[in-house]
Amino acid sequence: MNRRHPTQEAITFALLLAFGFLFLLPFLWMVSTSLKPLEETMKMPPEWIPSSFQWHNYPDAMRAMGPFWTFAGNSLLLAGLNVVGTVLSSAWVAYGFSRLDWKGRDACFFLLLMTMMIPFPVVMVPLYTLFRDLGWIGTMKPLWVPSFLAGAFNVFLLRQFFLTLPRDLSEAARIDGCSEFRIFWQVILPLAKPALLTVALFQFLATWNDFLGPLIFLARESHFTLALALQALQSTISGTPWHHLMAASTLVVAPVLVLFFFTQRTFIRGIATTGLK
Amino acid sequence: MNRAERRNFARAMLFVAPWVVGFLFLNLYPFLASVWYSLCDYSALSVPVFLGFQNYADLFRDPVFWKALSNTVLFALFAIPLGTALSIGLAVLLNQPVPGQGLFRTIFFLPSLVPAISLAILWQWMLNGPVGLVNMAVRPFLQAINAVAGTSLQAPDWLNDPNWALWGLVLTGLWGTGHAVVIYLAGLQEIPVELYEAAELDGTTPWQRFVHVTLPMLSPVIFFNVLMGIIGALQTFAVPYILTGGADGPGRSLLFLATYIYQHAFDYWNMGYASALALILFLVIVVLSFLAVKLGEKKVHYGGR
Amino acid sequence: MAKVILENLSKIYPGERGRNPKVAVDRVSLEIASGEFVVLVGPSGCGKTTTLRMIAGLEDISSGTIHIGDRCVNDTPPKDRDIAMVFQNYALYPHMTVERNMAFGLELRGFPKEEIRKRVQAAAKTLGLLEPDNLLVRKPKALSGGQRQRVALGRAMVREPKAFLFDEPLSNLDAKMRVEMRAEISRLHRTLGSTMIYVTHDQTEAMTMADRIVVMSSGKVQQNDTPMNLYHRPANRFVAGFMGSPPMNFFQGRLRRTHSGLEFAEETPEGRTSWVLPLTSGSTSGLASRMDKPVVLGIRPEHISPDAGGTGSFEVEVDLVEPMGAETLVYGRTAGHKCICRTFRSEGKELEGRKMRFLPDASRLHFFDVESGQAIS
Repeated sequence: MNRRHPTQEAITFALLLAFGFLFLLPFLWMVSTSLKPLEETMKMPPEWIPSSFQWHNYPDAMRAMGPFWTFAGNSLLLAGLNVVGTVLSSAWVAYGFSRLDWKGRDACFFLLLMTMMIPFPVVMVPLYTLFRDLGWIGTMKPLWVPSFLAGAFNVFLLRQFFLTLPRDLSEAARIDGCSEFRIFWQVILPLAKPALLTVALFQFLATWNDFLGPLIFLARESHFTLALALQALQSTISGTPWHHLMAASTLVVAPVLVLFFFTQRTFIRGIATTGLK
Repeated sequence: MNRAERRNFARAMLFVAPWVVGFLFLNLYPFLASVWYSLCDYSALSVPVFLGFQNYADLFRDPVFWKALSNTVLFALFAIPLGTALSIGLAVLLNQPVPGQGLFRTIFFLPSLVPAISLAILWQWMLNGPVGLVNMAVRPFLQAINAVAGTSLQAPDWLNDPNWALWGLVLTGLWGTGHAVVIYLAGLQEIPVELYEAAELDGTTPWQRFVHVTLPMLSPVIFFNVLMGIIGALQTFAVPYILTGGADGPGRSLLFLATYIYQHAFDYWNMGYASALALILFLVIVVLSFLAVKLGEKKVHYGGR
Repeated sequence: MAKVILENLSKIYPGERGRNPKVAVDRVSLEIASGEFVVLVGPSGCGKTTTLRMIAGLEDISSGTIHIGDRCVNDTPPKDRDIAMVFQNYALYPHMTVERNMAFGLELRGFPKEEIRKRVQAAAKTLGLLEPDNLLVRKPKALSGGQRQRVALGRAMVREPKAFLFDEPLSNLDAKMRVEMRAEISRLHRTLGSTMIYVTHDQTEAMTMADRIVVMSSGKVQQNDTPMNLYHRPANRFVAGFMGSPPMNFFQGRLRRTHSGLEFAEETPEGRTSWVLPLTSGSTSGLASRMDKPVVLGIRPEHISPDAGGTGSFEVEVDLVEPMGAETLVYGRTAGHKCICRTFRSEGKELEGRKMRFLPDASRLHFFDVESGQAIS
């Protein structure tokens, strides 16, 4: 619409400002608390700007968690392995479900969609015993090996994208002399970069943020992820050192926010497409 | 199958093999095993002992199960409509020609990126009774009401009050609704402008345009998100688990089905009972999804484009 | 360069979920000589594209054989058939530069770098991809439709294949570009002298480019002949109606003997005779056996002229006059049939709704069997 309604726009803008402020507030409060001295966290009415910035809260919180850099490394390692595993295996499987014709394909794909209905709590007990019998409990394997077996949601996402690529391209490549594998690797994958990036980002986020998986499958503290280590800190400390908890929370959130700011467009576009399908 | 079909099939199998393995070991086997365990006494350390439907019979007599079930369903019942309304509202605001659209979208979206652990700890702090930020905002309102109406309303100690804990969790969920805002905004931008122009020429008010153009055109997106929301909300685990430090909350007000399953499985090593609970959770999801789909068939308008 | 031979080639799609099997290509036999430009033409769904795709190896063969050169290629994968294909949507790899697009097939076949460069440069030069701008470094997205199709041609050329296959390569281009590319492809065929098989639904493309045209309908070859023969001596009513624009006029009627020879009497659906056309002795051969039997008379619009009332002329009511500039199309109705006349006289719109007379050129008449549609000669 090309006509402008100044009052309507002003009201809209005011509402957006108000809600935007409400949504930002918890972040500001988190950072503000993380920089306060302990006694100031309980002060009424609260100070938004700490009387003196307690930067040492951060190293203190890291020390309180234990070997912080080990946990961070574990989180990063798991996220990396999951991203590689998911992107490769999901793209590979999605290719089979979208660019090849075979008997039973639609039935199999329906089965794949159905598996998305199964909630994790239903399978977590047998998965635990299965991984235990494989001797994987006490290792990090339960948290990354499955990602190499293609997740249903990501297969679905990539299949939808692959279906939009013209069939002619594969045929031209076939005539040019490509094997099926080469068509996948040199024609389809390069064209699917945006979709692959979306899947990679979602997977990174999911692994980084995962709590239940590490809680069930990780047995040794040296394997803990940041999320799990932070929960351990929260549940063991006595009293309420909110400045440390907020500092640690900020440290766990920060990488995600940084990642988001560098990949905003892909992120937003990815979410928009997954939600509309 | 003839030769060409067999060749195609073999080639396809090569591609879908990872999923087939995953399906067998990560979906089918665990699901069937869960059904078997639910009929057994199983501590994960010894061999399962067949019990028949004993676990299910116990479960129906277990008041804690009913509490967990009602908390879970209540939470879904409140969180999903409120979240949907809020995110559609924000998306509609964002879809207006105002400056800073991208910035606002980012601000609304950011909270949905926050890991459950940080989210829970932050909101534990936000919802703190005496010094929490939420009550700091609530108190002036209550004082004003008290002054006018002569009542003596007090700000609740959210997470320590059995009547308020679930509402605290709903509030937490609303903060993380930005994901849906992005989806609805994309959905709104798909609606052809001509529809609004035609409606305007027909003499409709903005509200009528929202009801008769926006909502019907957006209904497939709403439907899909509500369905996903149901499946997600019924599995709620991490935030209440962390908020309560792995316990139930005051008066078991933050005990969810998923938490209860976890407790039986990994705190009491009562895997049989946990599996029975899990299958009930599965049934609830199937039934509610089915109802949503049935309802959706009538209300959702497809074929907009 | 090689000849291509199809023998009893069929494609049958199995019926799924209770549907009947569909015969897309029905026992097609063709011999395409080395260096020949053959166009497969027909309405959509006639099996022409399926035939081409079977030659390319993109579609499995249900029965019959395909020979390229002296080799039966039924079980040869596309890459080993030594053919190149130009697709309707160009099918250029969007993530590769033009140069890489053209070189890709050669790279995969292990050609030495120098040879690849030489061939790509040569093809690019022939197709005008170097002047005025060097398009080789661009991605397909930065090219116009016509330029993309040139690149697709180039990709085929560098391969120096035994045969070129074209699948409606011009239908995504605008009218002007289509005429230009038509000439370009014809020129290429002259310079390269390669075997080319070209699928289109556009009869103008078929007529202007082909050495030989194969008209297909419902999976069958209707006629396989040179463009001029196809036009002047269509084998059946389908070919007669399909080739030529506007299409041939058909009149149902009866052959009668008169004191001076033969005549054709048009009959309305109710069996009433509305007009009579005396036949000259030149056009009556083979008609004797059809005496007093129903036949279909075909006359091309360009072989009818508006007339004041000569022998054999008939009256029509004019529905529509379409002045095209150089020529005029007059749409009329006799008592029983619709009829189009194409004339170089400029007729005015004021004729619409009036009556006028049309005179057929008695030496350009076509007769067809009522049931089979086959030409009678």
